[in-house]
Order: sequence, then C-alpha cells, then structure tokens
Amino acid sequence: MIDSILLVDDEDLFHLVFEDACSLLDISLSLNALNSSDEAAKLFQKWFEDGDNNDKPECVFVDLNIIGSSFDGIELIRKINFEYGNHVVVGIISSSNEPEEQAKAIQAGAQFWIIKSDDIEPRLEEFRNDYEGYKNRTLPFKVYK
Amino acid sequence: MIKIDSNTKKTLMDLYLKKGIGLEGNITKLIDTENDEDFKKYLKDCETKDGDKRKKRLEMTKKIQKQNEELVTLNEKNEKMMEDLQNKITEIEESKLTFEVQNRELNEWKKENLELTEKLQTEMMKAEKARVDAEAAKQNAENDLDLLQKKTQNELISTIVKVALWVIMGVGVVTTGVYVLTLFVGKDTQVISAAWSNIFGILLTNAFSIVGTIMGIKYATENKQ
Repeated sequence: MIDSILLVDDEDLFHLVFEDACSLLDISLSLNALNSSDEAAKLFQKWFEDGDNNDKPECVFVDLNIIGSSFDGIELIRKINFEYGNHVVVGIISSSNEPEEQAKAIQAGAQFWIIKSDDIEPRLEEFRNDYEGYKNRTLPFKVYK
Repeated sequence: MIKIDSNTKKTLMDLYLKKGIGLEGNITKLIDTENDEDFKKYLKDCETKDGDKRKKRLEMTKKIQKQNEELVTLNEKNEKMMEDLQNKITEIEESKLTFEVQNRELNEWKKENLELTEKLQTEMMKAEKARVDAEAAKQNAENDLDLLQKKTQNELISTIVKVALWVIMGVGVVTTGVYVLTLFVGKDTQVISAAWSNIFGILLTNAFSIVGTIMGIKYATENKQ
C-alpha cells in the first residue's frame, strides 16, 4: 500500500472518483488532491527548501492539461524531478493517449501514464501491483490503457 | 496501528448495533483488533458498509462525470452550431448585399437600356424620315429627269420641225423664185411649172407627214408613261 498520494487535477469530480477508487482498491491510506500545478509546485518548492520530507507524498499523479494553471502536468513533473528533488514516484493521469506527449513526459522524468476513463479501477489495480518497481526505479515507463 | 481500550470498543459496537453508526474511511484499516473476534467482526462490517457506500458514490460520481462530459460535448456542438449559424447569417447578409448591388446594377442597366431604346427609336424615326425624304427626292429627281427628257424630246422635235419647215420653205421659195424668173425672162415655163406644182405638192405632203409623225410619237410616249 502506498503511504500517501497527491493528485493534481483541475476536475473536482475526478478527485472523488480517484479517492473512492483508491480506497476500494486499498491503494493508499492518505490522499490529497490539488486543482492547480502552481499550487503543487509551491508545495514541492517549500518541501525542497525546508528539507522537510514528512509531509511529502510518496506518489504523485498529475493531469496533463490543468486548466487555470500557469503550466501543464509535464512541466510540473519536470520541476518536481529536476528542481525540487526526485524522491517521489510521479506520473501522468490523463484522458489523452498522444505518443508525442508521452515522449515529452518521459523526457520530464514521468514513470507512468494512466489513461483516464470510466473504467479506471483495473488500471489503478495494475499500477498498484507494479508500484514497488516504480519505487525502486527498476520498472521502465509504462502506459496503462 | 491504533489500539483501542475495551470500553470504547464496546461503546462503538453498541452504537453500531442500536443506531447503525459505524467507523468510516481508512481509519478502520489502522485499528489493531488485538484478536478480539467481536471487534474484528465489527470493523469488517464497518469496512463493508463503507466500501458499499464508496462503491455507490463512485458509480454516482462517474455517472455525473460522464453527464458533465456529455454536457461539455453538447455545449461544444452547440457552440459549433452557433458559430455555423453565425457564419450562415454573415453569408446571407453578404449575399443580400451582393444581390442589392446586382439589383442596382440591373436597374441602372435597365435605365440605360431604356434610354438607348428611346434613342434608337428616335434614330429609327429619323432614318425612316430620311428614307421617306430620299424616296421623295428620288421621285423628284426621276420626275425632273423625265421632264428634262420630255423637254429635250420636245426641243429636238421642235428643232426637227423647224429645220424641216425651213427646208420646205427654202425649197418652195427657190422653186417659186426660179419659176418667177422664168416668167419674167419669157422662157418656156411648161417644164418648170409642172415641176413647181409637183415639187410644191410633194413638199406640202411631206410637211403634213412630218407633223403627223411627230404628233403620233408624242401621243405614244404619253400613253406609255
């Protein structure tokens, strides 16, 4: 089970879906959700500057296009990995399945890409089974279709 | 793991039995049952109840999410339709303007055409008048020519008559002179008198013949016209 998860997504309804799905699948005990990439970047910057890793989530799910934010999910992942330390498992959760965007995400250091749909639970279950590989950084980038 | 004392466990289980109120959320996964079978069952029931609730909420949320997506799609379609409609209206407005311009041009052309028709009619009338004038002029010229021809004919006839009369008169005078001279000289007039009367008769006959011929020609010419 993942200790704590941070979801960055502009859609509030998806926060509820994700929280319930994670709870039902016993993926995580603690889940926080944010609506903007700016807000998430600020938190990571704070944790990086303070050196405080207690509040830092273990795994981060980032939406690709976050409406109302200064930058998209890929840029947030790049910042998390290259500016604020890369001690979290981080990936994209999006309805998009564009190979070009996925290539960009890999460049930014994303470890996985989960495609959003009505039937999200099987993908999250598969991700849960693979999680240790991401945590150990032994598993390559994977798209959950 | 969280440890709970027996009194609290009992209170929690009583509350669940009497009012159906149980622990919810991930907290149930963090409580140590300490092998208390009743409490273990209580937590299991709470987790099942919570799971059912979450399942129900998840389905509802998904349904709402789907409806929202459909609404967004419908809104996009609606916006597209509105945009298309606006484009059509703009096209119609432009067509209307074009029609108006064309109509105006057609009216101008019609006006010009009417003016041209009027001018043409005037010119045709002028041409017709000119044709009539030309016809009249031609007729006049023909009449003049005819008159001139008649005049020339008359003059010619007159000249012929004059010459013929002069010849007749000359011959008459000469013959008469020779006869008179013969009478005064006292020579024999037998031959000359016979010749004088003979020639005088011939001359008179010829003179009347000439006049008759001329009158006949004149009469025939007038009838022919």
